[in-house]
Amino acid sequence: MTDLIVHIIVPVAIFSFIAAFTLFAVYAERKIAGFVQDRLGPMETGKYGLVQTIADILKLLQKEFITPAAADKVLFAMAPVVIFVAVFIGFSVIPWAPDFIPADTHTGLFFIMAVVSIDAIGILMAGWGSNNKYSLLGAIRAIAQMVSYEIPVGLSLIAAVMITQTLNLNDIAYLQGIQSPEPIYFMGFWEVSHIGGIFAWHIFQAPHLLIVYVIFFIASLAECNRAPFDIPEAESELIGGFHTEYGGIKFAFLFLAEYAMMFLVAILGVVIFLGGWNSPLPNVGGLLLADWTTGLGWGLFWTILKSFTVVGVQMWIRWTLPRFRADQLMTLCWKVLIPAAFVCMAISGLWRIMIIL
Amino acid sequence: MSVDFILFYAFAVMAIGSALLLVSIRNTARALFLLFIVLFAMAGLYLFALADFVAITQILVYVGGVLILLIFAFMLSNKSLLSDIHTVSHRLTALPNLPSFLLASVFLAILLFALSSWNNNMPEWMAAAEADGSLIQPTENNIRMLGFKFMTQYVLPFEIISIFLMMALIGAAHISRKGERP
Repeated sequence: MTDLIVHIIVPVAIFSFIAAFTLFAVYAERKIAGFVQDRLGPMETGKYGLVQTIADILKLLQKEFITPAAADKVLFAMAPVVIFVAVFIGFSVIPWAPDFIPADTHTGLFFIMAVVSIDAIGILMAGWGSNNKYSLLGAIRAIAQMVSYEIPVGLSLIAAVMITQTLNLNDIAYLQGIQSPEPIYFMGFWEVSHIGGIFAWHIFQAPHLLIVYVIFFIASLAECNRAPFDIPEAESELIGGFHTEYGGIKFAFLFLAEYAMMFLVAILGVVIFLGGWNSPLPNVGGLLLADWTTGLGWGLFWTILKSFTVVGVQMWIRWTLPRFRADQLMTLCWKVLIPAAFVCMAISGLWRIMIIL
Repeated sequence: MSVDFILFYAFAVMAIGSALLLVSIRNTARALFLLFIVLFAMAGLYLFALADFVAITQILVYVGGVLILLIFAFMLSNKSLLSDIHTVSHRLTALPNLPSFLLASVFLAILLFALSSWNNNMPEWMAAAEADGSLIQPTENNIRMLGFKFMTQYVLPFEIISIFLMMALIGAAHISRKGERP
């Protein structure tokens, strides 16, 4: 029975975290947009506009359920649920701190790749169910983009996994710090198993993994339909893309799914490439900074701090770069990212055979 | 009745129920999305056979790939083509229904034969494996074993599949080329 209660408490806790994160992230996004465009952002509601997003969500929650008369009612109502659940399940295998993970499975990474692809079905459902040209065009563009960009994401993750030799995200995070069961080498020549810190992270374990992380980051931006890859939403051409017809709490769920997806790809990149819960501070001689800053509380702190930093970079990019054209988007994916990811995968294999073994 | 049993039957009912609904529904778009539920429930059933890798691959390949392709094909096909599907006769013995009728009856015969020859006991190889303790536990790392098997025992089928996929890829690239090129 206690098992069952734990199985209920953990998802509720993660859901509350995502909801709180979304409130915070929307405020941060608007403030960052304001900073980039040299204005102040929300200032009216509360001190520095702090309760602006809470007011927004309260407004969304009390709105009427509006379903277009010609829409496919069932698909229209199901789509936000499918989209949000697809992203939400992904959090079940993410480690937050040493052994602090909802589901410690050997297939963790593969599982995330699979459930995130369900997201695409939800978007198609929303686009088709709305019975609106803009929604359908937005959904088709979204799918074309997401299906294409799943390939560089997958290849870059394979390149990293070939070095780690495990798909378990908990084990992957263990391999990047002072608690590693195997010796770690900085760039393949300097043993840092007892020094840890930033030198033990995967992006510094082999020189090509830094490029792999950049590929992963760019492709994951496209996966969550963020600018400069927001062709599916493209307010200026398609009104709002697949969620044109949505309002009220259904729109709130679509919005929640978008921010949850941003956080999911950020934390996934952190766990696989940026050391997960491991501290960035190395042991320097007698100054055991890495030993002091490792543990449950510190693990949570580092994971969340690193993920928020990555989310911040995502927002910074959104407000700095203009939107890609559809053909530029596909050229970038098929002619730049995928060949580069393939080369990195080959280097990973050689690196594993020549340097590590 | 434990949670596992309830979940197993929930997945089974979901798979069979939505499959029945899928073949009887008139709305093609909804039928395609019902196929998603069927495939998803099937993946859930694979988990109970400790085939977690197969379950996840099912979702990744069928839901993330094949189903999206089907929905795309449906959305891009014209309306008169789709209305042809709906004008098929609904009598059981009509000529267009004959192949599917044959297939279904043969499959039913196989199922009935299996049911009649089932004696409610475990097969010998299963009982033998249980006796000498060589069973796969839920906590074991199946992926490592699968990797070894793919690269040793099943390396030929594995490579043939990869060549087959390569051929499909080249064929797709060839078909999608615009007109004649010098």
